[in-house]
Amino acid sequence: MSSPATIKELMAVVLSRELEDGDHLQVGVALPVPEVAVRLAHIMHGPNMQLIFLGARMNVHHLESIPLPTFGWDSRSVRWAESYSDRGHRFDQVKAWHKRVFFVGGLQVDKFGNINLIGIGDDPKKLKFRGPASVGTPTLTTHVGRYYIVLNNHTSRVLVSECDYVSAVGWHEGGTDARKKLGIPGGGPKLCVTPLCVMDFTEIEKRMRLVSLHPGVTLDEVKANTGFELVIPDIVPTTLVPTEDELTILRSRVDLSGLLRSR
Amino acid sequence: MLNQVRKSALLPEEKAGQWVKSGMTIAIGEPAPMGLLRWIIRNKITDLTVIGSGMALDYLIAGGCVRKVVTYYAGSPDTAVMPAFRSEAENGSLEVWECEEGILTSGLEAAGKGLPFMPWRGGVGTSLPDINADLKVIRDPIGGEVLIAVPAIDIDITLLHASISDSYGNVQHCRGTGWLDMFLYRAADRVIVQVEKIVSNEEIRSKPWETTISNADAIVLSPYGAHPFYSRGYYVQDQEYIQAYLEAIKAAYSKGSRDDKDDYFETHCNRFQSHAEYLDAIGMGHLISLSEY
Repeated sequence: MSSPATIKELMAVVLSRELEDGDHLQVGVALPVPEVAVRLAHIMHGPNMQLIFLGARMNVHHLESIPLPTFGWDSRSVRWAESYSDRGHRFDQVKAWHKRVFFVGGLQVDKFGNINLIGIGDDPKKLKFRGPASVGTPTLTTHVGRYYIVLNNHTSRVLVSECDYVSAVGWHEGGTDARKKLGIPGGGPKLCVTPLCVMDFTEIEKRMRLVSLHPGVTLDEVKANTGFELVIPDIVPTTLVPTEDELTILRSRVDLSGLLRSR
Repeated sequence: MLNQVRKSALLPEEKAGQWVKSGMTIAIGEPAPMGLLRWIIRNKITDLTVIGSGMALDYLIAGGCVRKVVTYYAGSPDTAVMPAFRSEAENGSLEVWECEEGILTSGLEAAGKGLPFMPWRGGVGTSLPDINADLKVIRDPIGGEVLIAVPAIDIDITLLHASISDSYGNVQHCRGTGWLDMFLYRAADRVIVQVEKIVSNEEIRSKPWETTISNADAIVLSPYGAHPFYSRGYYVQDQEYIQAYLEAIKAAYSKGSRDDKDDYFETHCNRFQSHAEYLDAIGMGHLISLSEY
């Protein structure tokens, strides 16, 4: 028996189960949980998935292990690629992005899944906390078929009633037609996965709703750490923990250095 | 008698560096041309508007050269937000032209194509046009859609790092250019490319389809010139050096110590008269240990 999954491993497994064979999975820099999730899904059930890291696209299903380099600025990521688009073509085929799945984090996230990477404070010229800026999230979340919000922390400072600034529009001010009204074509955020729980968006209002609590987490704990009123269904199950198989593959064929085992 | 000799684009670092004047708009490619950036810091060029991202951008900010940044991302896998960028933006001394990748490439494309603006959809409904008054929300005259008009982003000088060039400025990047390199090149009045190696014109002509930039204004020979970053086909990123930079600069800003920051740049940049002296200090053994494999 393996030692129990860490929270980050659990989050990666939750995400990997969401991913479908044939998906084009784009992961940006500094998102270790989605990096592990897409590789795990690729091995477990995704021989036709395409993994996209920066400009490199790859299908590495045939490899015995799909280890984790720090893809960010390591040009060796290109070695596994079947194509490399860095002559500036990265945003030239948004027509095909309905097949694409993306992952975002945020300094702040509100109940409609709008996210903020710009900063916190009233004066944008003198922010109290200056964020890293929006990267490519406005463009990607505008066009991709669906995306997942993945947070390292679940506190009322992150999950807020209103973002100070919006980098990427989720369900704007709510409603199934919210994105359509703005003229934003993509499918919007599907889940929000945090160290405490899994959340989705209600069918009509598109408000964030609790789906499952991670093992050992109470409903009160989630409520106390969420800065807006979360939709709570009558029955809230416990998040399904990783199977022995998932955990073994995750640890022995993906996360060889134990990136998600620490902390 | 007419001059019948084809002009060489080769320039020593200090000659090319002198093209960069305080107050200009410059762009830095990926991997960053660190040799040229160290020259800019050493020579106290100030008030630059810089199009860039990550640690290279932060290095110029911490080095005291920057008034305004045009950036889509000032973080990295190693730190959530770059330390000099964060501190100087928070205290209001650094102006940020808030954007994102699609908006930035649209503005660069408009400049390269000689257009006043380029429409883009990413950013519609966000705070970007509220924060950045240069971004205009428009209604497209064909289908009536709401879009963002991104003004042309014109650049005085773009600084790039590449693998090889001949003496006439025919540049070839090993395994493709950095993400924005070609956009930055097309949007600029002039481009300076530092390269790992100068090769013969015959070598370039043996594979012309690999030429990425065919008329660079200046070529600077700069082996290991992207250090501490990678250069494809040559060396990988020097993670320890980057980590040490982040820690030193973060500590200097949180103490509010100008001296600590100056010490860092004295040790790692200003005391060297040339790129060669910098490489001597890093040491051949260490450089070899970074060889790409």
